[in-house]
Amino acid sequence: MDNEIHSLLANIWFLIIGLMLFLYVILDGFDLGVGILFLFTKDEKQRAIMMKSLESIWDANETWLVLLGGSLFGAFPLVFAIMLQALYIPVMVMLFALIFRGVAFEFRHYARNKAPWNLAFGCSSLLASLAQGIAFGGLISGLGITESNYQGNVWEWFTPFSALVALGVTTGYTLLGAAYLIIKTEGAIQRKSIVQAYIAAILEIILMIMIVILASRFNPYFAARWADKETGNYLDLFVILAVFAFIMLMWALRRGFELRTFFWSVIIFLASFTAVTIGYYPYMIPVSITLIHAASSSKTLIFMLAGIGLLIPVMLVYSGYQYLVFRGKVHLDEHTN
Amino acid sequence: MTILQDPVFLSRLQFAVTAMFHILWPLTTVGLSLILVVFEGLWLKTGDVDHYRHARFWAKLFVLNFSVGVISGLPLEFEFGTNWSRFSMMTGEFFGNILGYEGAMAFMLEAGFLGIMLFGWLRVPPAIHLLATGMVTLGASLSVFWILVANSWMQTPAGIHLENNKVVVDSYFEAIFNKNMPWGVLHTWFACLTTSLFVIGGLSAWYILKNRNTDFFLKSFKLALIGAIFVVPIQIYLGDASGRHVFVNQPAKGAAIEAHWTTNQEGKGAEWNLLMWPNENDQKNDWAITLPNVLSVLATGDLHGQVKGLTLFPQADQPPAIALIFYSFRIMVVIGMAFLGLMLWTLLAWLRGQLTPASIGKHRLLLYAWIASIPLGYLATECGWIVREVGRQPWVIYGLLRTRDAASTLPLSVVATSLVAFVVIYSSLFILFLMFAARIISKGPDLSLAPPSRR
Repeated sequence: MDNEIHSLLANIWFLIIGLMLFLYVILDGFDLGVGILFLFTKDEKQRAIMMKSLESIWDANETWLVLLGGSLFGAFPLVFAIMLQALYIPVMVMLFALIFRGVAFEFRHYARNKAPWNLAFGCSSLLASLAQGIAFGGLISGLGITESNYQGNVWEWFTPFSALVALGVTTGYTLLGAAYLIIKTEGAIQRKSIVQAYIAAILEIILMIMIVILASRFNPYFAARWADKETGNYLDLFVILAVFAFIMLMWALRRGFELRTFFWSVIIFLASFTAVTIGYYPYMIPVSITLIHAASSSKTLIFMLAGIGLLIPVMLVYSGYQYLVFRGKVHLDEHTN
Repeated sequence: MTILQDPVFLSRLQFAVTAMFHILWPLTTVGLSLILVVFEGLWLKTGDVDHYRHARFWAKLFVLNFSVGVISGLPLEFEFGTNWSRFSMMTGEFFGNILGYEGAMAFMLEAGFLGIMLFGWLRVPPAIHLLATGMVTLGASLSVFWILVANSWMQTPAGIHLENNKVVVDSYFEAIFNKNMPWGVLHTWFACLTTSLFVIGGLSAWYILKNRNTDFFLKSFKLALIGAIFVVPIQIYLGDASGRHVFVNQPAKGAAIEAHWTTNQEGKGAEWNLLMWPNENDQKNDWAITLPNVLSVLATGDLHGQVKGLTLFPQADQPPAIALIFYSFRIMVVIGMAFLGLMLWTLLAWLRGQLTPASIGKHRLLLYAWIASIPLGYLATECGWIVREVGRQPWVIYGLLRTRDAASTLPLSVVATSLVAFVVIYSSLFILFLMFAARIISKGPDLSLAPPSRR
């Protein structure tokens, strides 16, 4: 009975961590994506609009990462510790990139010469996306961790597969960024974002297919999960959902639907994210550390549920309210600052 | 330097660099946000448009400061895993849990209302805007609470036992309300208020001295003074009480703060070192200027109270760098006293009716003193943090886990590279921050800014 309760709690926390990661990936994903698209913009006024579309929400988006880190640390300390140590290099690169990106918002505003900050903002967004992608690719490849040895080589994450995942994640963020700009802008910049969304979406679906094929070919556990009748069906379902979302996305772009473009981009992420989760479940570090193995005691998980889990709906409400306050197209002449 | 070839030492150095850089920014985020609430509230209550313009002006410095604070805080959370993975595996059940609480209750709240506070003036009614500013303030202060809960638990761990080398919580209440917690939280929170008040007061003094909008800045100057009248004495009391608490619960740290090597014999008071230079090898001070019995009085309140000396602990359990701890502590105390003196001096001038637009210009020395006090709060806090953290060594969790046993196993080159990168990036950010802050300050407030309707 105790074991069942513990297992239930560990799974609930696995779900919450998954939700936090998903929210972070979507929210900071489009945020980073807009940053990447900064590199493809030469017009200073367009850059100002792109920046303004993020200024009121970037901090809230990034804070999901802080919440995710703390929650993972408390609920699955083993995963937090082993994973971060093994991912030292990409994590540091991501942190340095996020530092430059974060200060660029204010520093660019006050700098007389904006060029270095434009470059810093674009490059650090790109670098942070690549670092997150390669870290994630390294994590699902197992990081060289075994049940008896928690210390992988610090370069274990660096493989062709993780490089491909990094490209996939970065392209996905770019798609989200373009979809966000379609909602927040109009005119020339919106038209450009539509073209960029097309390109990113097509690249994304190609990369995803490649990632899935590689994962099922080179990762025996993932392949076995797919071969399994029951989980295999679910995996099929989510792959089909991803493809369906891609088709709907193309349709939305063609028809010029703004919100739907963003919605179907999110569904592509949701479907791939769920497929990866099912494909490696119950492993948090495949295939050495399971979620039960890594979970804190039931007492901690319950205490965390009371202080964090119950607050999630509240967080969603006030975060949503902030988005609501700043809804609508971005106008540069609006006097706020 | 062989010590620089030790990855664990480099990890410690990196954590020290990143933590000491980060702490600079929340000091003003926490204090300044509260001051912004006051200005905004005053504007809504009195309708004096200057208060609105104050709120808008200081908010510019607030957000510049905030952005550096946010991005320098992120690495700290991740470093627990990257550089201190054995600490994280062992303590996640409590320490990680508390960091999760901090994220959920403090940072999310702060970030969820920051956008409205900074950019929403014309998009929400004033009451909602005040609520947003209030929530940012609450979030910032709650982050002080939770991070100091976590840190104070490392100073005086309680409410847990070890099982298979892992922390298991017996009582959350005891762990959260550990002995050091009230002092750690309050002393740090008041450090934020004190620093911010002297920053606002000092900058206002600069404008007054330059004869720029004297009327306008006299308002913020007086506000800073009124704040200081309450906050400075409380902070000095909290500092004194925290100090006495250290002698009880972390005697080795207490002895290191005072470079007190030998326990005083019964019936004889412990002498207090005003200045000294320690000799760790000989376990005594090379020289010292001492005052008899004073340490007994300071630590115990009794003329002959017993104060444990460093030699009571094996050398392996003594804090390192006694001189650093000893002098950091003294710098902090001197700054506290300087704040008190400056506050009383200004209060006296006020009571004599000299803080008016006509006569304040004559108090040039007073205004210079306020300007000089701008960096002092930061300096005092850094010194306090050194005392707190270096004084806890060689333990990362006092008496439970040695710092050496808490580190990740990492190649030297990797840690050295990230350490150098942090030093280079943070130094540049610091310089850039000062440059941009100087631009905001020299441009000054927009006194033509029309406020939105108060209803």
